[in-house]
This record gives sequence, structure tokens and C-alpha cells, in this order.
Amino acid sequence: MMSMDYLFTITIPMLEGAKMTILLFLIAVIASIPLGFVITLMVKSAIKPVAWLANFYIYIMRGTPLLLQLLLFCFGLPMLPLIGEYLVLDRFVAACLAFILNYAAYFAEIFRGGLLAIDKGQYEAAQVLGFSRWQTMRKIIIPQMFRVALPAVSNESITLVKDTALLYAVAVPELLHFAQTAVNRDFTIIPFFVAGIIYLLMTLILTWVFKQLERRLKFE
Amino acid sequence: MSIVQVSNLRKSFGDLDVLKNITFEIEKNQVVAVIGPSGSGKSTMLRSLIHLEQIDGGSVSVGGQDLVKEGVYANHQELKRITSKMGMVFQHFNLFPHLTVKENLELAPKYVKGEQGDQIAQRSTELLKKVGLSDKANVYPSKLSGGQKQRVAIARALMMNPEIMLFDEPTSALDPELTGEVLQVIKQLAAEQITMIIVTHEMGFAKEVADKILFMDQGEITESGTPEEIFMNPKSERTKAFINYVLK
Repeated sequence: MMSMDYLFTITIPMLEGAKMTILLFLIAVIASIPLGFVITLMVKSAIKPVAWLANFYIYIMRGTPLLLQLLLFCFGLPMLPLIGEYLVLDRFVAACLAFILNYAAYFAEIFRGGLLAIDKGQYEAAQVLGFSRWQTMRKIIIPQMFRVALPAVSNESITLVKDTALLYAVAVPELLHFAQTAVNRDFTIIPFFVAGIIYLLMTLILTWVFKQLERRLKFE
Repeated sequence: MSIVQVSNLRKSFGDLDVLKNITFEIEKNQVVAVIGPSGSGKSTMLRSLIHLEQIDGGSVSVGGQDLVKEGVYANHQELKRITSKMGMVFQHFNLFPHLTVKENLELAPKYVKGEQGDQIAQRSTELLKKVGLSDKANVYPSKLSGGQKQRVAIARALMMNPEIMLFDEPTSALDPELTGEVLQVIKQLAAEQITMIIVTHEMGFAKEVADKILFMDQGEITESGTPEEIFMNPKSERTKAFINYVLK
């Protein structure tokens, strides 16, 4: 018989672990969204080598598993000849880098899709009213692009919450790590269910936040 | 002196010559209607005047200043200054959907001209009244009918105090019952003696409001004159055929 005391004892460390999960999520989202947008602008650049570089970046980041990138940043970089010794990062920091760089590529593609949805007439209207290119982007294009991209950004953010579980593979103690520890120690699957519920709670909150944002940006 | 002078304007898309040796002049306060069959280059010609199309040869001057002289464009700053004398209204309105009607009107004066807030607000209120949409100031474009959107677009262009207004088929995207309200606003502007160039398929309107009509066919102005000359007494066979067809 499962007691409340037992639930309590396993949930506390898992919530501690969830802090790490949330921290990684916040760092990755906050950094990769602007970086992704910069990459979108690079893809759109009239300077061909810049566009090539950005496309190559997206290809590499999307074309290889996030887990591989994570392992590379945590364990691979220090093995590099000559510069490796300077690249021994704290594992959590290395993981953050891997997540930011990987997710930026996905966000870049999402924003590119958002830009494609904007009618050419918007640029023309802006031009004849005398807006500079930068004003046009900032005041007219980006707000519309962001609105179009919002559902996809929401989707990607939910995937990010779940991908934080990959930290398990580089032994950073996050939510899943504590669940697995409890499962091994107590020989019960209850901790897995508790972990699942905590993930669900996090994605529920995130879904709600994005729904609010969408409602607010309805322009009706 | 003419406020708009165009001479030998040429433009092609690949092998297709869309504009061949276009030459015409427009006097201040004149209302000019550009008519002609679809694909005759009317819109491309209009768009060339405000630098939405790059031309391949010829000259365009606006208010005595050269936008293009014999195929060579003025520098970026000059281009901006010269095109700012003109306002443009598009077939598909091109309102900014993420901004309210009032914000649509006020964005350019605020950021392009850096005008004061109360000054802008006063003008936007006046102009919305003029186009009969005072009650829609805080509404988003998605809640407006086509005719209302186009009236907002006209007010938005007027916010920049242009010397010349360009209209690119302003009623072509509208349901027939909504064209009237837009044409009414344009007529009102004509009465206030704003220089206007209107590309249109509304022959009755062109006849009534224009001082001068340019008839275009296959990238050329084949005939120009007063509405009486063009509609009652067309010289070329092509114009005659077109007029007969559209007035039937």
C-alpha cells in the first residue's frame, strides 16, 4: 500500500530536479528565440555567403540528434586537440549551450515560415509611406511574423520541456534523474508516474501561457 | 510647370516589354485617369512613378526633381525625398493588420516624420471623419468591410500630406455595392484639387472625375485627352473598340 509519506519523500527530490529542468528550459527559450531570429535574418540576407552559412548551420543542427550534440558539448569538446583543455565546461553550462544552439535552428525555420506568410503588399505599403528597412522590420513585419509563428513556437517550446530529460544522459541531476534513482532504490514504478505528472503540469502551464498570448495578439 | 513629367519610360520583364516609350505630363491639381485593357501596363506605369518598380530607361521627374534621368536613378536619400511627395493607395488596401485603424494612420507620421503625438492625433481624427469612419478608430482592419478598408488606406496616405495621390485600381478588389463609398471619397478629394493619378476600370467614374485620360494598350499610351475626346470621339481604332466594349 502506497502511503502519502512515501509519495512525499520521492516527490521532494523530484521537484528539486524539476528546478534544474525549468532553469534549462528558461535559459534555452530565452536565448534560442532571439538567436533563431538572427539566423532567420541571415538566411534572408542578400549577402550570399551569410545565407549559405546560416543554411549550413540549420542543416547541421537539425540533421543530427540533439543527444549527439549534447554529448559532444559535455564530453567531446575537452577532447579536441590544443583547444580542448580550455573547453572543459560545467556540464550544465555545456548542456545549455547545446540546447540553445540546437533550438535556435528550429526557431529560425519557424520564423522563416512566419516571414513567408507576410504579404508583399505590407513591404510596399511601408515603402511608400517612407519607412526605412529597419523600421519596416521592427514596426510592421516582426510583429506580424511573431503572431503567425506563435502556434509553432508554442509547439516547439513544449518539445523543449520534454527534451530537457536528455540531461539524464550527461548525469545532470534533473527531474527524470531523481525519478530513476527512486525507481531503482525502491523497486516501484510510482516515481515514473509522479515524474510524468510533473512534466504534464509544466506543459499545461506552458500551453496556457501561449494560449493567453495568442488571444492577446488576435488583432480583432 | 508640370508636377509630373515622364519621358520615354521603358521597362521589360525578361523578353516582354511591358512599358514602351511612355511619355506624358501632369499639371498640378489635375486629376488623371489611366484606362485600358488588362495587362496593358497601367499598374506597372503607376508603380514606376513611386519607385515600386525599377525602370530600364527614360526619365521621371516629380515636382521638378528627377527621380530617374535617362535611366539613372537619384541616390537613396533623394529617392526617399521625391517619393515622399506621393501617397499611394493599393488595390488590396495593404493595411497593417496588427494595428488599429488609428494606429495605421498614425504610425508613419510618428516614426517617419517624427511628429508630435497631439498633432498627429488631431489630423487622424479629422481624416477619419472625412472618410466617414470616425467610429472605427479603435477597430482592427479584420473587422472592416473592403470599402471601409480602402477608405482607411486613403486616410493613411493622406496623413503624410502628399502633393500627389496615386490610386492603383482602388475599387477592383471590392464587391460592386462597396465601390460607391470609395469613389465618393476620391471625388471629394478631386473637388479639393489634390493632384491624382488613378488607374481604374470604372469608366463612368473616370469620365466624371478626370480632367485628363490616358488610354494604355500593350505598354504604350495610345491616346490621351479630355474625357469628352476619349469617350465621345476616340481617334484610334483600338481606343474606339475598347470604349465601345466597356460602355456597352
